[in-house]
Amino acid sequence: MTPEAQQMKEHILELIRKPSLTIDENTRLVSSGLIDSMALVDLLVKLEDLTRMRIPPGKVQPKDMDTIALMFATAQRVGKPQK
Amino acid sequence: MNRFRTLRLRTLIDALNAAPGERVFVTAWVDEDEHEDVTFAEFRRRARAQAAQLMAHGVQSGDRVIVLMPQGIPAMTVFVGAMMLGGVPAILAYPNFKVEAAKYRSGLAGVTANLSAKLVVIDNEFPEELLGHVALGERSAVVRLNAESDRDVDLPELRIGPESLAFIQHSAGTTGLQKGVALAHGAVLTQLAHLAEALQIDDRKDRVYSWLPLYHDMGLIACFMLPMVCHIPVVMQSPLEWVMHPETMLRAITDYRCTLAWLPNFAFQFTPRRTRRERWANCDLSSVRALINCSEPVRTSSLQEFENAFAAIGVRKGALHSSYAMAENVFAVTQSEVRVGTGPRKIWADAARLRRGKIIVEVDQSPNAVSFISSGRLLPNHQLRIVSDSGQVLAEGRVGEILIQSDCLFQGYYNRPDFTAAVLADGWYHTGDLGFQLDGELYVMGRKKDLLIVGGENLYPQDIEEIAASHPDIHDGRVVAMGIYNPELGTEDVVIVAELEDEARLGRSAEIEREIRSRVVSGLGVAVRTIILKPPKWIVKSTAGKPARSSTREKLLREHPELKMESQESQFA
Repeated sequence: MTPEAQQMKEHILELIRKPSLTIDENTRLVSSGLIDSMALVDLLVKLEDLTRMRIPPGKVQPKDMDTIALMFATAQRVGKPQK
Repeated sequence: MNRFRTLRLRTLIDALNAAPGERVFVTAWVDEDEHEDVTFAEFRRRARAQAAQLMAHGVQSGDRVIVLMPQGIPAMTVFVGAMMLGGVPAILAYPNFKVEAAKYRSGLAGVTANLSAKLVVIDNEFPEELLGHVALGERSAVVRLNAESDRDVDLPELRIGPESLAFIQHSAGTTGLQKGVALAHGAVLTQLAHLAEALQIDDRKDRVYSWLPLYHDMGLIACFMLPMVCHIPVVMQSPLEWVMHPETMLRAITDYRCTLAWLPNFAFQFTPRRTRRERWANCDLSSVRALINCSEPVRTSSLQEFENAFAAIGVRKGALHSSYAMAENVFAVTQSEVRVGTGPRKIWADAARLRRGKIIVEVDQSPNAVSFISSGRLLPNHQLRIVSDSGQVLAEGRVGEILIQSDCLFQGYYNRPDFTAAVLADGWYHTGDLGFQLDGELYVMGRKKDLLIVGGENLYPQDIEEIAASHPDIHDGRVVAMGIYNPELGTEDVVIVAELEDEARLGRSAEIEREIRSRVVSGLGVAVRTIILKPPKWIVKSTAGKPARSSTREKLLREHPELKMESQESQFA
């Protein structure tokens, strides 16, 4: 796991407040019910910070944010340099 | 002024045809660099082209047509295209990747069968992997329609009138899918005339902003039918894009100088909390004359938070409003007064008197007082009654169930006389909501029924309970699902309490909890906040032997006070 992915993982664990839970890069978060759609905005902002990219609205679907690995792949695919 | 009042309209299609062709109707907003503007003339042309496609698939006057397309102009033109043939469209929620195909299929099969839908219309991009989600009743067919069509076509003369059915609205959840609210053209036009009057709609100045889903009454009536009939533009984006980028609402309102928007309660809190200041610092919301909080009990703290956060970018005191609305009445029953610049009235009531006697006694703000926000006055030709559990009509200041009567009330749930009879008696609709009247204004406290409202979406506890109860470790039927208000989010959290088959299984709680969570999300697309597993015989039973929801809720909150995060104002909701 990259240091950025590790930071994202810690952010998610903090967000879902389940310290006993173990997750990795491929743990399904949205489709397993761990994360609801209202929490996606937090993950997008964190992803933008970690990748130093701007992720434009209209280019991301919740399924693109289902695992940590998918999040970073999505940032690579649709991210633009921050203004 | 509002031209609509002066026009003699028989159907929604007459209203669309009367719109000035060159005026922009819908702006589909994707981001700052990407949007599409469609004028009324162009919208009519596209809707006619969709009608021609529907006609080619055999749709005739009176046929039900289910629209299963993503939020956007194509879904709207198919909806109107169906009405142009005298058909009766219903927009349903687009499949969502979280929901398991089998669950979606059974819900859709149920609704197509109940409506005896002629067609289910999907878009060209409907995901291949979700095609398995589309299931049909016996006499229904599924078609993909081209989003765009260049042809301009003449349609057969429309032989429908005000009494003809215009469309069907559903509430969410599989239980709600059986309740299709059938509405006639005349009822919709009557509601919109009242609403336009209450809101002082000006077709030369007003513009609506919306991210609300079109399968919901706020999105369909306030943000699609109202603009179409009153000839005002609407700037629209998808609910998912908004929820992932809430600042886009502020950007779109700024760029288009929007004047009106409807939002569920949670959005008033979610937007300021989830949006970084640097993303909205250069926005300007001074064009907004009414942001209307609707569909959930209106909470003082949520409105205040929005006003405090965005006063700096032009949100005026008095621009935040409230309304009480439901699909069964087409839409609004009450609306706060937009002509005075103060916003809805807020009162404080003695908490002890309320708890003991269900009486509202106004007092000054204090730790022993609870606050309520008025939902405003009744629209013209609307009547209201507050009744006790025994059906007795109560005086002002007494809390009871809200009953309504109006000249735009629905006639019944489509094809379900049983559901209709349960709520409609002697012309009065029993809303299942609790509230009181004071000085001619309505205050809505919450639901008498067990419906959960999560992020503006309706959820039926029965749907959640059925899924949780299907887990092999859960004692059959011993599950209670409830919504507990989360002041952090400004909406309800889903909480489940369930009994295990035997006490020994408590050791595997974490695993069972994970499995239930995953079943609920794949069944209903909703994330459960907390699951609490209990040994057998924990849940409180009613005299009929079924789990008693309210007593179980009280017991759970007593044993788990950490669940109760409710703020003072909401403890009676």
